[in-house]
Amino acid sequence: MPFDRAGLDEALAALRAYDWGADAAALVPIDAAVVAAHGEATLRDDLERALVALLAPGSSRATKEYVCRRLALVGTGASVPALAALLDDPDHAHMARFALERIDGPEATAALRAALGTTHGDRRIGVISSLAGRGDAGSVPLLAGLLTAEAPLAVAAASGLGRLAIPAAAAALAAAPAQLPATVAAAISDARLACADALLAAGDRAAARQIFAAIATAVGDNPTSHRDRALRIAARRGSLACLDDTSPG
Amino acid sequence: MAAGRVVMSCGRRWRPRTAAVPMVVGVALLVVLTAGAKAARGDDALQATTDLVRSGDADLRAVGLERVRDGLRGATATRALADTLLPTLDAPRQRALVTALAERGDAAALPGILRLLDGSADEAVRAAALLAVATLGGPGDVPVLVRALAKGGAEEAAARRGLVIVGGAGAVDAIRTAARTAPPAVHTTLCDILASRRATAAAPDLVAAAVADDAGLRGAAMRALAQIGSSAEVPGMVRGVLRADAGRERDEAERALVAVCSTGRDRERAAVAFLDAFNSAPAAEQALLAGMLGRLGGPRSLALVEKLLADPARRSLGLEALSRWPDASVKDRLLELFAAAADDGERNLLLATLIRIAPLPNNTLDDAQKLELLRRTMDLCQRDEDRRRVLERANAIRTVEALRFVVPYLDQPPLAESACLSVVELAHHQKLRDDNKAEFTKALDRVLATTKEPELVERSQRYKEGRTWNRRAPGG
Repeated sequence: MPFDRAGLDEALAALRAYDWGADAAALVPIDAAVVAAHGEATLRDDLERALVALLAPGSSRATKEYVCRRLALVGTGASVPALAALLDDPDHAHMARFALERIDGPEATAALRAALGTTHGDRRIGVISSLAGRGDAGSVPLLAGLLTAEAPLAVAAASGLGRLAIPAAAAALAAAPAQLPATVAAAISDARLACADALLAAGDRAAARQIFAAIATAVGDNPTSHRDRALRIAARRGSLACLDDTSPG
Repeated sequence: MAAGRVVMSCGRRWRPRTAAVPMVVGVALLVVLTAGAKAARGDDALQATTDLVRSGDADLRAVGLERVRDGLRGATATRALADTLLPTLDAPRQRALVTALAERGDAAALPGILRLLDGSADEAVRAAALLAVATLGGPGDVPVLVRALAKGGAEEAAARRGLVIVGGAGAVDAIRTAARTAPPAVHTTLCDILASRRATAAAPDLVAAAVADDAGLRGAAMRALAQIGSSAEVPGMVRGVLRADAGRERDEAERALVAVCSTGRDRERAAVAFLDAFNSAPAAEQALLAGMLGRLGGPRSLALVEKLLADPARRSLGLEALSRWPDASVKDRLLELFAAAADDGERNLLLATLIRIAPLPNNTLDDAQKLELLRRTMDLCQRDEDRRRVLERANAIRTVEALRFVVPYLDQPPLAESACLSVVELAHHQKLRDDNKAEFTKALDRVLATTKEPELVERSQRYKEGRTWNRRAPGG
């Protein structure tokens, strides 16, 4: 659908009153504006401003969800404060993170890092996931500090470090205390394997091999649980791949 | 890259001690050291893989075999695995390694695998080796696989599969060459293999085999031609039908020819080719091909059949052809002929044909028309044995009208068991039974009061209770 500026104002008015079950066809001009905003800085600014205004209290959940999805496409640092304000809101945190994960620039990263200290429960776990999703190397110390937190948070932190899969993350995981709850220890092992695979793929065989060897040693030669058997297999596969010049890297 | 970094750091340590060495020598030294480090790491990987493949731990063996399949690239590693490691393993590990080497896909393993094939006393190992030879080898390895066909058991099965998958542009030619000198039993198997390969280039060989002295070979050749034959092979297949022994072999040969003429890639031309062959055949051969003419069906065949019917000397051939017709398109002609039949033999043949074709599923008739044809046929019957066949054929028409047709015959003792059977067969179809529950319950009660067959009693009771009944497998 071609973009029509007059139609956009009507559509934004419709979005203000929008709720689930209403006819979404009235919002189509906004989608056209999102497309047209690529390469049109003025339109993008106007659109972003109008959308951000709809994140204020009083808009329906459906409206805010729609706005977050569009800000993920056209949002900039200017959207970040409004989105960050939603990060500990049980109804809107998920969609706010959806947008923040995709918005370029240091403001979004900084907001997510800051939210680690202000959010609670599942929302905090979500923030960890978003930082990992953004590939934020700077969050490694923050995530490392959470490895000794309560189990769900520590598991999320370990998974996040595994997704980052950079040497600093691998080092943080290696430095985790030995005595941790089983679920956390398992998440750390998985994350270390993920790091080792990524390091091997990047060509850092020595670092990867060190991790695989450490895991193999930790599991031992006679694993009894299914999980330990799987870990040993993964570690041996990885060690072998590190020796093999035909493997990636 | 990591190795590169290690080596570069070695280079930096070297340089102060050899400060006078020109830069070019330094670079050369670096290249040599890099290659050396890579080679050393490759040796380590090979050794580690070897250790894992030898391991007594199944998990670790799996890790090693995975590396054989997907890692350690290069013919040198392949040869080390196939030539050095393979002979030293026990049979289960040999089998696993041979299979992994096949999946690895490097033909450098072939010599080692062929030696294993020659030297192993274990049938399962040899079978795995045969499959590996087929996977990695080519036309030159076909004779090895063909020889294994005669060995039976797992080796024969592996060789069969291997001959289907063995690649290379000349593989089919190699199989054809082997087939020419193979004993009949092996040649028979090779016919099946050529069909599985869809080796249309081998069709002339199959045509030749279709008239061989060995009945098994003839049958296999016709079966293969049924799958890959075309109009070009029809004249040869006709010779195969004529060469086939009467009975099962000829029946199967006719089916093969019908398959080419009705479902083959150029079926129209194939059908014309058959009709041409029929037309040009001597009378004695036409007599043998009449059934085939009928099986083929269609307007062109019917025109030929009419010619036969018009010739008093060949009328019986025309009737035989009609008796094999594949659908009910000739029903009116059959009824006409029945009305004008000269003797009981003709009448019985035509009646049997009408009974057979009426409910055929590939008819153009709908269910009501099928049932009407059966009713008319019933009216033509003079003998109870024919009436019983009509009643038993009625259950192929799965409608409540068919049930209503059959039920009155429950009261006629000579026909009652056949009627009982059809009621029960119709009741077997749950939806039909449930949609007409009252009618079926009443009919099944009458079956229970009539039949002497224990199986029909059991089935009737089950169907009345809404339960199903598992048909016994043939011969079970």
